[in-house]
Amino acid sequence: MQEAYVVAGLRTAIGKAKKGAFRHVRPDDLAVVVIESLVKQVSGLTPTAVDDVIVGTAVPEAEQGLQMARWIALRSLAIEVPGVTINRYCGSGLEAIALATAKIKCGMADCIIAGGAESMSLVPTMGWKTAPNFTLADDHAEYFLSMGLTAEEVAQEHRITREESDAFALASHRRALAARSAGYFQQEIVPVTVEEITVEKNHRTIHRTVVCEDEGPRPDTSLEALSKLPPVFRQDGQVTAGNASQTSDGAAFVVVLSEAMVKKLNVKPWARLVTCVSAGVHPRLMGMGPVEAVPRALKRSGIRLQDVGVIELNEAFACQALAVMKALDLDPERVNPNGGAIALGHPLGCTGAVLTIKAVRQAQRQNQKYALVTACIGGGQGIAAVFEVFS
Amino acid sequence: MKRRIQKVAVLGAGIMGSRIACHLANAGFAVLLLDRLPDAPAESLSASEQRNRLVNDALQASVRSKPAPLFSNHRLRLITTGNFSDDMPRIAECDWVIEAIVENLDIKRQLFDQVDRYRRQGTIVSSNTSSIPIHLLAEGRSHDFQQHFCGTHFFNPPRYLRLLEIIPTPQTRPDVVETLMHFGELFLGKETVRCKDTPAFIANRIGVFSVMHIFHLTEELGLTVDEVDLLTGPLIGRPKSATFRTADIIGLDTLVQVARLVYERCPHDEARDRFRVPQWLEHMVRNNWLGDKTGQGFYRKEKQNGLTVYPSVDLNTLQYSLKPKPSFATVEAMKRAASWQQVLQQATAGTDKAADFYRKFFYGLFAYVSRRIPEISDELYWVDAAMQAGFGWQHGPFAAWEALGIRQVRAAMEAFHFTPAEWVDELLRRGHESFYRFEQSKRYCYDVSTQDYRPVTGSEHLIVLEHRSDHEVWRNSACRLVDLGDGVVNLEWNTKMNTIGSEVLEGVNKAIELAEQNFEGLVISNQGENFSAGANLALILMLAMEQDYDELERACRLFQQTSMRLRYSAVPVVVAPHQLTLGGGCELALHADSVVAAAETYMGLVEVGVGIIPAGGGTKELAVRASDAFTDGIPELPIVQRFFTNTAMGKVSGSAEEAFEMGLLRVGIDLYCMNRKRQLFEAKQRVLELVRRGYVRAQPRQDIRVAGRTVLAALYAGIETMVYGKYASEHDRLIARKLAYVLCGGDLTATTSVSEQYLLDLEREAFLSLVTTRKSMERMQSILNTGKPLRN
Repeated sequence: MQEAYVVAGLRTAIGKAKKGAFRHVRPDDLAVVVIESLVKQVSGLTPTAVDDVIVGTAVPEAEQGLQMARWIALRSLAIEVPGVTINRYCGSGLEAIALATAKIKCGMADCIIAGGAESMSLVPTMGWKTAPNFTLADDHAEYFLSMGLTAEEVAQEHRITREESDAFALASHRRALAARSAGYFQQEIVPVTVEEITVEKNHRTIHRTVVCEDEGPRPDTSLEALSKLPPVFRQDGQVTAGNASQTSDGAAFVVVLSEAMVKKLNVKPWARLVTCVSAGVHPRLMGMGPVEAVPRALKRSGIRLQDVGVIELNEAFACQALAVMKALDLDPERVNPNGGAIALGHPLGCTGAVLTIKAVRQAQRQNQKYALVTACIGGGQGIAAVFEVFS
Repeated sequence: MKRRIQKVAVLGAGIMGSRIACHLANAGFAVLLLDRLPDAPAESLSASEQRNRLVNDALQASVRSKPAPLFSNHRLRLITTGNFSDDMPRIAECDWVIEAIVENLDIKRQLFDQVDRYRRQGTIVSSNTSSIPIHLLAEGRSHDFQQHFCGTHFFNPPRYLRLLEIIPTPQTRPDVVETLMHFGELFLGKETVRCKDTPAFIANRIGVFSVMHIFHLTEELGLTVDEVDLLTGPLIGRPKSATFRTADIIGLDTLVQVARLVYERCPHDEARDRFRVPQWLEHMVRNNWLGDKTGQGFYRKEKQNGLTVYPSVDLNTLQYSLKPKPSFATVEAMKRAASWQQVLQQATAGTDKAADFYRKFFYGLFAYVSRRIPEISDELYWVDAAMQAGFGWQHGPFAAWEALGIRQVRAAMEAFHFTPAEWVDELLRRGHESFYRFEQSKRYCYDVSTQDYRPVTGSEHLIVLEHRSDHEVWRNSACRLVDLGDGVVNLEWNTKMNTIGSEVLEGVNKAIELAEQNFEGLVISNQGENFSAGANLALILMLAMEQDYDELERACRLFQQTSMRLRYSAVPVVVAPHQLTLGGGCELALHADSVVAAAETYMGLVEVGVGIIPAGGGTKELAVRASDAFTDGIPELPIVQRFFTNTAMGKVSGSAEEAFEMGLLRVGIDLYCMNRKRQLFEAKQRVLELVRRGYVRAQPRQDIRVAGRTVLAALYAGIETMVYGKYASEHDRLIARKLAYVLCGGDLTATTSVSEQYLLDLEREAFLSLVTTRKSMERMQSILNTGKPLRN
């Protein structure tokens, strides 16, 4: 079996859904911009050398339907390059990278571009037609709770207080802002030129803006401001707009190459995906998914938790992240050192790829050998991946 | 040329200005709302945002205030905002300019100077002033301005308070007055009265006289605040807040202001002393005890042993204390009276302090109002109308006098040294015994200048059921069927809160039967406080407690059949609801051929609140309406969900307009009218229109598409979210799931066409399974005993 390596990764800035700069931008358009830049970054890589494009997305319908990946591949690379759209909800972006790695390792491909693209502005989380299975909904309506309520359930079972959640949310913003001023995200982000055509005073008007900075982090937030926000999902609950991940738009991809291709192109590998596993939990407690997935991933990879220098744990909700950290006994200093989805946003199917890029880059900066990427997944799953990072 | 009002400018966005603008938008007019520039412009806003900050903030504050000034927030798009400095030229686009800025003659004059400069010739200009003489405002203006200028006095809140006073000056053109009278009545739904340019106009002059007269009588007779509020409240057809409590709501300072205004400006008022402010009132104002706005006035809210109580002030000591419930023999006699006339007779006949009070109060009031004709109004009916619409008096002072007997009262007045106006004696000398007359269902009123009866303006659009008792076609213990003429009959019922029991259902069936036999069509409406609070809950609860399933089944079936009879009658049936139209009342409206609602109609299927689902055909009808909205290729869920959510939450519309948005009223079929007084006339016209266009009985529907399990699954999931979110209880879940089941036509495998009867059967089964549960019965009990819904 040959080895597979992540050799490059890029993303768009993460836009605020419905009100940010990407609110009218199609996710496939975002993906095309990222992939075009990505191919240019890997010296010697020609578009036709790409064997496949794997695109994760959480709601594959409407703008994200029609097998979006095929059109992304065709536009960004060449007619000959195929594409496949995959869905593991919030694990999609990571799953895409795992599939790419597995295919290459099996000798089924040498170069795959994998990641995710999501527009929460254009496609609602529940899709345009929500149609759960009747038998399931009749017997177990609680399987279909809104994500916010699953977080309330987690907070209740794991005794996470509102104060802890708000403090965690504040830290997420502070860390993201610090990372931004340190210039960390600049290396990851592809500027996107957004063109909006509107009618102003009865005239067709074109506005162009270049988006190159994440829209989520708020320098003006404070514990006081956060503590004043009302609960959104449950009367007397604790999940607020301030301590939950933001809804977002974005795209992120990495290039995965076979050992042979790495040698041929003479590129320096970033990282190697050691393993990636998913695991199921009760849908009502979906936020606890990583608690099942992480130990399995560590066991399979044979790597101990204390050897992992950087952990990217998706912040679906502050209370959920806190409960996972508590259950897995994670070192808060190593978790999301550059902020998480509460500050930066969570474009569902794209997030796994964003976290991978963030984790690998941070491990490289800190000379850490191992990075862990994990996320909880709606419907009651967790996903966890261990990367060996080359500094 | 015909004068039309299409766009209105409102100058001044304060409490009155912004709310007047909202009500004009309710009526569908484009509104330009202007106010001054902010004193200190805030940074970080764009130039126009900054310059319009004051007006925008004021409008937003109004829109958010309760009771809501807009029928629906969608109406906001009709209001454009701006400021006096930049946007004054835009008043040239407007047909009417209303000034509602601060009550200061100089500032108003400066503004009118601007208005005079920018207005188009012929544009109507009016002031909403309540204290400045209208003619002073017109002084020095151009001739065209003066000809098109008058006072238009709205009352707060303009959407809800039905009175509008129009005050012309001698220069105002008659067609301007006519336009505004017509506009106010038809488009704004107001009781529009024409006043003379005298201090406080009609309503405040008489209203404040009445209050001050009572204040002085309280002192003179040694009565207490509580006693007087008992005597001057609903007992004599006045609002629950009676006198002192009303003063607390209005604000004691405002009251004193108006009293002083009249005192200073009406030196020849024979009852001027009544407007002198009593010492204790002066004291209270000095203490800043101004009523609700400062937390205490004649009453003060207090907590005692966990209960909220309202001790009242002692006018001698100015100490607050709780008093025992006052009791008077006269009051007991009044409560036993069978008619309004008898109530007044009992009030003035007794020998106790209460009767003494009533005599002095009424005789003084009657004498006072008679002497205000023609000072404040040429027409005495406008005084009655203003007091009814402006102060919530059920009967105007002249109507009350007439009820007591004009001649008898005139004789009795002597002993109390009250002298009415000359014209009253003239009326009696001519052998007349009434101020009003009804002839051929037209209303006439005594005219002081011609000393004869003349038709009341607007009465051609007025049908008063109370006055049509000689046209009765049929009646039972609860209902009355009345011939409205032109082949149209009206069914009304008169039960507590106008609830619907078996006699009412019998009445509806009988009315349809008789209408089919002998008439062209039927209106179902009444002129009580509310159209209907729903089905008779007490009866349902009684049957439920006895677990009498057969009788419950029968009752439910009867309601369903009545609704279906209404829908499938051989003649058009128009339901004309107003105010509360809940539960069963709403279900009847849902089955009308057409609904002609009052603009102020609060409609909703609220059955969930008492633990059941709508089962008089209401849930079925929602399924039918959802089905009619289904479109190939568009998911059914959002369509069903809207009806489901509103019903599961027991949502009641805040206006007829909102009932359209909720799908309870149908665009193009149902209508609403702004003026409640015209509603029955409009409903009758609607029947005649349906007849004229060729009315054909509809056929029962077999083609109702229900979505089945796909949508049901999503609703079940949604319900769970409400339960886990603690917005719904376990019992709410049970009820909501039953409701969802009926709306989806059950757990059918796929979208299927079903009949109305199939849905009615589902609806009835769901009702029967819920009504006898303990928690549903507790909910019914709570509403019946406390009037408050129980969430168990």
